Parts: sequence; structure tokens; C-alpha cells
Amino acid sequence: MDLKHFIVIGLMFSVSGMADPEMMGKTFEIRFESHHFSPQTLEVPANTPLQVRVVNSSRERIEFESFSLNREKVVEPGGSVTLKLPALRAGTYDFFDDFHQDVPEGAIVAK
Amino acid sequence: MITPLKAALRYLPLFGLAAALRCAAQLDPWEFEVYPYSTNPRGIAEFETDNAAVVEGHAAGGEGTASGTLRSQGMWYNSYEVTYGLTDRVEAALYLNMAEPAGGGLQWAGDKFRLRGRLFEQETLPVDVGWYVELEWHKTPQYDDAVRELEFRPILEKDLGRFSVMANPKFEKVLAGVGHDQGVEFGYVAGMYYRWARSLSPGLEFYGGAGLIDHADPVGQQQHYLFPVVWGELPRGLEYNFGLGFGLTRGSDHLIVKFNLELERFVGAILRAPPDGGWFF
Repeated sequence: MDLKHFIVIGLMFSVSGMADPEMMGKTFEIRFESHHFSPQTLEVPANTPLQVRVVNSSRERIEFESFSLNREKVVEPGGSVTLKLPALRAGTYDFFDDFHQDVPEGAIVAK
Repeated sequence: MITPLKAALRYLPLFGLAAALRCAAQLDPWEFEVYPYSTNPRGIAEFETDNAAVVEGHAAGGEGTASGTLRSQGMWYNSYEVTYGLTDRVEAALYLNMAEPAGGGLQWAGDKFRLRGRLFEQETLPVDVGWYVELEWHKTPQYDDAVRELEFRPILEKDLGRFSVMANPKFEKVLAGVGHDQGVEFGYVAGMYYRWARSLSPGLEFYGGAGLIDHADPVGQQQHYLFPVVWGELPRGLEYNFGLGFGLTRGSDHLIVKFNLELERFVGAILRAPPDGGWFF
């Protein structure tokens, strides 16, 4: 296989698999205010793609991070970000603010 | 439902494609690191030091990880890197490469500048895709007989449950110095990681290099390494990656120890936040 074939196959593979916006699943919200995430435990359906919108209602910059989900996003004060998540197996997935270690950790529970 | 392990095996041929191509570029022993899809967020600076010590190497220059006149045996490759998130999708980094040969002192060995970015949002494509462009310069023939080199890497990542699979195929062109009149070299950097605990998780990393795209070196002269690694986060946000690298060919050094440390902090954004829905900047 030469370089040209490698690039063409890669592009075809990428473009053909772009996600349909209607297939991205339901959106859930986690809000950060008063140095806490709310809800601290978010229940979501297992085995279906979903989105989590993180809203920062505080005056401090946060880094929303989940080690088990491999997600890391800075959220400006008053801003929000939306994370796309694949279908999760039933289980508990952590999240925390990496900029403030004293903020209590939260969990996304897929059932 | 497909288990993460089965899914990882399903995607392995894609990531193995790079390694299966019949050629590879020379290795960068100053940076045994696999790049993920994610980049430094806007305004975040990361300070990193990468270290690799050749415990069992070669006795003559130009062999193993040594590309210059000095031998690789006993060499300590030491680099310092500052990375800054220009936007949430593009970061810039500056490197200072140092080296200490066996019996010698720590010396300057070159500098690098790179830009790295990610395309779309995570999970938009079946495989998350990023890009990497690097310019390296040095006049240190004792470490590398090339003077200026340009490198491009597509970055591929797929998360499968707690597994992450990453591949960085490398395309490198010597712009000045020995090899400037030759073509493009191809190599690979790849890794498989399992997220077990924030403080300690295992992984396997693969590095290889074998020559020009249209004229690969004989297999015995190529370099291929397998690094079992542990990685994680220490208190105060200090992240580490420690591994033992085993050379898989005669042309490889036999044993390398690597230890990378990094720390990220918000230092302030210089560019405005891009509008939602972007895919490049």
C-alpha cells in the first residue's frame, strides 16, 4: 500500500462515519455553582449515546474532567460546554474539577 | 453489546496500518511520548520534561538511538517543553533538547517548535483525528547529522470503554544537512492505555523507525521498541509516565528507561474563544 492509498482510505473512513446529529442522544445538564456540581450524581440511560452539557454558573474558571470517560474541558465563568459520550455500559463514571481539588467529586451513573 | 476489549481488537487493524507500512522514520529519542487527540485548552500552559536513559545500547555512533558521532550506550536524552493552548483546538510548543553522553556533561542538542491541533469534537468521527507539524533545528553532528527537519503526523485516537488506542504515523523530511536530498521518511508512535486509577494505570507504547518511504532499511537495521509503561497523576496535578523500552531488532538499543513529568496551569488566554460548532480552530 502506498501513501496515496493510505490517505484516501483514511479520509473515506473518517467522512463516512460522521455522526448524524439526530443520533447523538438526549442531552443532560450538570451545573457548577457555589463551588459544587449539581447534580452531584447524574443518572443516565446505559447503552445509548448521550450528551452532557456542563454549565459554569460560578465566577471561577473550572476544568470539568472525567478520568474514566477520558474527558477534559475548561469551562469559562458563565460559559458552557457540551460533551458527546458514546453508549456507556452500566456503571459509575467519575467527574471532578481539576482546577479545584477541594470541589467534591461527582458521578455519572449509567443504568 | 460489544465489550471494550472486543472493540479494541476490531480497531487494531486500523491503528496497525501505520506499523504495517514497509518503512519508518528515524526515532526521536528525546521524546518517547504518544500524542492523544486532546490538546491543551485555551490559555493553559504545560511544562514538561522528557527523559530517556540508554541502559543497554550500542558502542558506536550512528547505531541505535544515536544519529550522530557519539555512541548511544549510557546516553541520557533530556528535553524540556513548554506547550500553550492557543485555542481549544490548537496548541503551540517549544522544546529544548539536551543530552549527556556517557562520561560527558549535559549539552545542548537542538530545539523544536511544533503546532498540534484536533479536528471536530470527540465522538463526532468514528476515530478522533488530530494533526501535528514540527520543525526541528540543530547543528550538533555529535547527536544528529541532519540540521533542519520537518515532520507531520496525523493523530488518531479511539476510546473504547476504559481503553484508549492512539496512533501517530510520522512523516519526516530533512530540509538541511545529511539526507536533505532524500525523500520522506515514515515512522510510527502508538500506544494502548487502560484507565485503571488516576494515580496509576498501565499502558503499552510502540515506537519505530526504518528509513525512507521508497527505500526502507533492512529489518535488522531498523529500530522498533516496545515500552510497557505506567502513568498517572501525582499530588498537585503532576503527571508522570514511566516505562522500560525493549529493542525488538538488532538495530535498536536493547534497553531504555524513560521518565516523563508534566504539569499544567492556567496562565491566561491571548486569543478569543472561537464560536461554537467550529471544527479546526
